[in-house]
Amino acid sequence: MSTHLNTEQLLHAYRVMRTIRAFEERLHIEFATGEIPGFVHLYAGEEASAAGVMAHLRDSDCIASNHRGHGHCIAKGVDVHGMMAEIYGKKTGVCGGKGGSMHIADLEKGMLGANGIVGAGAPLVAGAALAAKLKGTDDVAVVFFGDGGSNEGAVFEAMNLAAIMNLPCIFVAENNGYAEATASNWSVACDHIADRAAGFGMPGVTIDGYDFFAVHEAAGAAIERARSGQGPSLVEVKLTRYYGHFEGDAQTYRAPDEVKNLRETRDCLMQFRQRTTRAGLLGDAQLDLVDAQVEDLIEDAVRRAKSDPKPQPADLLSDVYVAYP
Amino acid sequence: MSHPAPTVGIIVNPASGRDLRRLTASAGLYSSTDKASAVQRLLAAFAATGIRRVLLPPDMTGIAAAVLKASNGPQAAGQRWPQLDILDMPLRQTVEDTRLAARQMLARGVALIAVLGGDGTHKAVAAEVGDIPLLTLSTGTNNAFPELREATSAGLAGGLFAAGRIPAQVGLRRNKRLLVRDPARELCEWALVEVAVSPQRFIGARALSRAEDLAEVFATFAEPHAIGLSALCGLWCPVSRHAAEGAWVRLNGQAEQALLAPLAPGLVQGCGITAAGPLAPGVAYSLSLSSGTLALDGEREIEFSEHDRPTVTLDAHGPLSIDVEAVLAFAARHRLLAVGREHPQHPAHPQC
Repeated sequence: MSTHLNTEQLLHAYRVMRTIRAFEERLHIEFATGEIPGFVHLYAGEEASAAGVMAHLRDSDCIASNHRGHGHCIAKGVDVHGMMAEIYGKKTGVCGGKGGSMHIADLEKGMLGANGIVGAGAPLVAGAALAAKLKGTDDVAVVFFGDGGSNEGAVFEAMNLAAIMNLPCIFVAENNGYAEATASNWSVACDHIADRAAGFGMPGVTIDGYDFFAVHEAAGAAIERARSGQGPSLVEVKLTRYYGHFEGDAQTYRAPDEVKNLRETRDCLMQFRQRTTRAGLLGDAQLDLVDAQVEDLIEDAVRRAKSDPKPQPADLLSDVYVAYP
Repeated sequence: MSHPAPTVGIIVNPASGRDLRRLTASAGLYSSTDKASAVQRLLAAFAATGIRRVLLPPDMTGIAAAVLKASNGPQAAGQRWPQLDILDMPLRQTVEDTRLAARQMLARGVALIAVLGGDGTHKAVAAEVGDIPLLTLSTGTNNAFPELREATSAGLAGGLFAAGRIPAQVGLRRNKRLLVRDPARELCEWALVEVAVSPQRFIGARALSRAEDLAEVFATFAEPHAIGLSALCGLWCPVSRHAAEGAWVRLNGQAEQALLAPLAPGLVQGCGITAAGPLAPGVAYSLSLSSGTLALDGEREIEFSEHDRPTVTLDAHGPLSIDVEAVLAFAARHRLLAVGREHPQHPAHPQC
């Protein structure tokens, strides 16, 4: 895959990553106020993965996410205010305020949903990929799961199904080093999640998840492969999360300077800015403008979400059951 | 002959053999399990040749752990594996781990370092260890510098050399290298096989295997049977490991003649060749592109733009490596692996 992205594509990638970062950092602050119901699991630090994969997808391609799903939703084009309102449990949320952080879904954008069950997205995208194949479209389906999810039977079943049915399915393992508080180098046998693809007869690659261009190139190859009928593949993206497993996680299982060092040396936004400006492809002023616009967008989303109405008791059963004629 | 029992290092690149070429070509996998097995085969061979201590870096992928576990098992006891010392070092999970392990082994006075990785891994070790010989084993994708060999027989050759039983003029060969320099950026990097100039602007997924991503290739040596970017020179203007000069080719899709070259496993591409020639040692060659990336031994590592002036220079100051075939031929001629009844692995020995 080419990394010859034009100015518009480069700016879009940066905007997606910056929006995810600003969204998550704002939630980190807002959650501490106690206004947000339920749990939130922040994606900050992992932005290059969502942005790099989703740059190749269209609305008709499906994705399924996990409990750390905000970044995937934003990169897939889900409305930022609708997401914020959903997390605040407001009626204006993309799921009417009844799903919350771990159940954000937007079928019009091909976002099948974040998911509170570890590994549960994989069978969903196998189904979406089967639907695309049966309909004869060239749509693909992508699932994002973590190193913890990589150990789930449902993920293996989905990989097996995708392989034997040659489905246009991409398994993206976002390996941030910890399943909740358990280190992946302890809990993942054979350690390289990508190696497991060989057991299903599909290609598996490991990619630097701090580098947007690396993810973009590898995901492009995997997605192109799936679109052209060559079947599923597994992309392991190695990255880190800047915050705890959930907000409030004391992270006693991490070295004190682990996140600080990674933020200072490998941050995806920092790298993207340094490299695109050094190459003369983007200017600092263009990127600063995106930063400012994103800040306004997030501020507006939070302000509106806070003042939006809550769902009412009468809304309880709406969107829950299918109404058959 | 009696020699002090030498210490040998083993460096395994946990990340090799998993790059993009599994998606874009038909490259196979070299798993952590396979790598741990290869280290165990090396240990068996080192044991048989009198090596008593081996240094191994830690890693985050379970290779050292699997080897350590095996070293406490019955096979290790029966074969009298060397004592295994795991280096005490922090891990960044980057090439810096390889470099740090190499420096620690240098400081510990190892007689030899066995390297399991691709061309890039060998380059990273070579740049740190001066004239400590390398036993080169391929666990990468497109490897030209390490030959494809079984670890056991390679280990026998390495062990015999490290034990002082092989004359240097028989067992060692001096390799060439390419230096990529840009003084303004304080840049000085090595390549052991080739430097490729690519119009791709970013390092991205690192591997290069498409003709349109190549503008120029400089090679230290290029064998006709090579796989990877050096095959471009190998099938057009081959040059041996032993020749003083190297080779270069310039590529353009509009060229009159295209060469069918195996740029990656299962990927034979038509590559338009516009010019080629020998690469003279000691001459700083400038690049045909003003911006792009430089791939050192197959992986993009350096991004350069209009204000940079990197050059490529060939010289003969690359690493020493073990000539496995020559060592084992010498060993056969001199029956170096013959043992008497007193040896515990002699079939008539009471312990056998």
